[in-house]
Amino acid sequence: MIHQYDVILIGGGLTGLRAALQIKDAGLDGAVISKVHPLRSHSVAAQGGMNASLGNVEGEGGVKDSWQNHAYDTVKGSDYLADQDAVELMCREAPRTVIELEHMGTVWSRLENGKIAQRPFGGAGFPRTCYAADRTGHNALHTLYENVVGREIPVYEEFYLTSLVIDEGRCVGCTALEIVTGEVHGFLARAVLLATGGFGRIYDRSTNALINTGEGASLALEAGAQLKDMEFVQFHPTTLYGTNILITEGARGEGGILLNKDGERFMEGYAPRTRDLAARDVISRAMEQEIAEGRAYPGGYLYLDLRHLGPDKIKERLPGIRQIAMDFAGVDPIEEKIPVQPGQHYSMGGVDVDMGGATSIPGLYAAGECACISVHGANRLGGNSLLETVVFGRLVADKIIEDVSSINFTEEEPIKTAMINMDIKIGDILSREEGEHLFQIREAMTHTMSQGFGILREKQEMQEGLQEIKKLQKQLPRVSLQNSKRELNQALVRFLELEGMLLLSEAVARSAIAREESRGSHFRTDYPERDDINFLKHTLIDLKDDEMCVSYKPVKLGMFEPEERVY
Amino acid sequence: MESPDYDTFEVDPHPGMTVLSALFQIQEKYDDSLAFRYSCRGAVCGTCAMLINKVPRLACRSQVRDLLKDKVPETVADEDISMAGEDIYWNPEEEVLVEPLPHLPVIRDLVVDMELFFQYYRFVEPTFRPAGPDPEKERLMDPGAVKELGVYTNCILCGACHAACPVVGENPEYLGPAALAKLYRFHIDPREAEGDSRLEKGDIPNGWWACESYGDCYQVCPRNVPPIIAIRQAINQLNKRK
Repeated sequence: MIHQYDVILIGGGLTGLRAALQIKDAGLDGAVISKVHPLRSHSVAAQGGMNASLGNVEGEGGVKDSWQNHAYDTVKGSDYLADQDAVELMCREAPRTVIELEHMGTVWSRLENGKIAQRPFGGAGFPRTCYAADRTGHNALHTLYENVVGREIPVYEEFYLTSLVIDEGRCVGCTALEIVTGEVHGFLARAVLLATGGFGRIYDRSTNALINTGEGASLALEAGAQLKDMEFVQFHPTTLYGTNILITEGARGEGGILLNKDGERFMEGYAPRTRDLAARDVISRAMEQEIAEGRAYPGGYLYLDLRHLGPDKIKERLPGIRQIAMDFAGVDPIEEKIPVQPGQHYSMGGVDVDMGGATSIPGLYAAGECACISVHGANRLGGNSLLETVVFGRLVADKIIEDVSSINFTEEEPIKTAMINMDIKIGDILSREEGEHLFQIREAMTHTMSQGFGILREKQEMQEGLQEIKKLQKQLPRVSLQNSKRELNQALVRFLELEGMLLLSEAVARSAIAREESRGSHFRTDYPERDDINFLKHTLIDLKDDEMCVSYKPVKLGMFEPEERVY
Repeated sequence: MESPDYDTFEVDPHPGMTVLSALFQIQEKYDDSLAFRYSCRGAVCGTCAMLINKVPRLACRSQVRDLLKDKVPETVADEDISMAGEDIYWNPEEEVLVEPLPHLPVIRDLVVDMELFFQYYRFVEPTFRPAGPDPEKERLMDPGAVKELGVYTNCILCGACHAACPVVGENPEYLGPAALAKLYRFHIDPREAEGDSRLEKGDIPNGWWACESYGDCYQVCPRNVPPIIAIRQAINQLNKRK
């Protein structure tokens, strides 16, 4: 079946839904395609908050916050790899964005005077982070979905994106698999927005939802777009051992400390001044070293100790964390230490887009975590990801609205062809009788990525990792599934996800090997210093004739000159 | 409807193993056709509600070890829940019984069609309707009001309450606890216009009035949302005005 809309929005998280509202309000006909029900998107799991220089809470000495301060913290946090024009745009738009969500119905936490509450966050010079208790993403996503429902915007739920359709150099739509029926649908559009989120699931330890497999980025690459800064992957220091569910930085903010196997407060040795509240990348590296040098528990975990805070403070300030520890590790932090380890948390890299969210393919746009615009550079600050999703969901939709006024629908023919090709491909996958085991390949991939492209990186290990990924890619055409039915075949969906993830893994690997310096989240033990002379630039990945190649493009500076990043 | 099949799988348990991770182990090791929904695996997205040992719960939040130790929690009345699922024997010492959520059509295995559930959600018009035009900045809100609202905005629409409600089981046209709790959330939002429009939306035989105060909705909610309290308060307010 072929559907026709002015704009197709792929992804039902904060970016996709915010864009959908904008498209609808402009009088255009848009539809959302999502692999899950929109309320199940990973946006819903965001805890901390959304940065905006509202100035509802004063900084030290009664100083008022400003968008310029926000921009400075963001650029410094990015280790100077963020594009400063994009950062400026985001930070200028931030207050309006938080207020816009309030106007749509989001319930924010409030100060005594009734204004939206703000709290301090890592790497920020002011109490700038607006929040809704520890479920900011949940409140924001439900509000946007409620507004999508109110405007009766069509949502194709549990439709898995299978290809982007390019005709004469222009993106004219996509194909998607209706998971429940197994039918391949075609979507003809004047513009397509990718809002498919991050790709954390290429790693075996990730705070990401299980659905974060990055197909928007991999299909964009296959369609001819570029990926940018893929080597920059954020690792969060405290994820729960076993499930890697996030344990918020707030736990250390309240006084929690990290301990190794010998009961030592090891951060004193790595960051004597800020200790357990040093920057995320600093702590993750220290933990990795403790693990490597045998001062962690078998399986590779350390302890986060909150016991000295006492039951009252834990119950009052960290109830969510206590619940998570009890539900998922069987540990009550009042009585026991929480087993933690660093885990993948965020993908700074993504589809290369300009300030308007346009990729190099006319008609194809990207925003949110799947895109790299780039506001996070080499390291994202907490509270900036939710902000990015909603700001650029709106702004990129505005650009699309402007651009499509001069674009007509093309013929259905290219969509039909793409549907037939996808149908043949799926039929082929399902008809293989014997072969490689899907889940073993996925496990080998996530293991390889964590080993070779984790917190500490080194040339030899990375090259071995890349070889392994190439080997796994070659095994894919021989994978066979037990389930050969079309209807509700989750093994098929997971095969398609794996195909894309192996491509993204290679992009991360090639980008990381080529960057012979350490910057933000990318730390090379063989090149431990930042090298602005050779590497103050964005990495680009192209796919040409099935070969990936690395190139670079300049960073847009302007407001702030690069300096050493000291906290 | 044809009678369902039950299969038994032996899983290799590890400390802290959840029902969701057990299902993945089955899918990956024994039967890749096993169908179940999943997303966040951290009890915040509401995707993986299913009937586990005859109680609707999130698979990602239910530890296998705990399910073997205790049996059906006494907090949930056995007879109410058993009306919802199939009659089947299992050995609670060694087995965990996993079934699809009751009260919704089964698509396959543990995947149910949530359309009716979301149809009732849409029926209550869950979109914010502010009292006046948008001010330049945020509308002010009392922190106390935010706390009260938070009890209901916390709902993750997993459907556990809908599946546990004996009234939904008897009367599929009842809007159900989740939709009514959502309606109440907007009713008490101090930023909306004062008036009865939200209350009236549920002032129908299959709205507030259909609740029989079993309270199973509150008992099974993974987020401690109390639809029964919302519904009782709405009824009290309607009674006062009549």
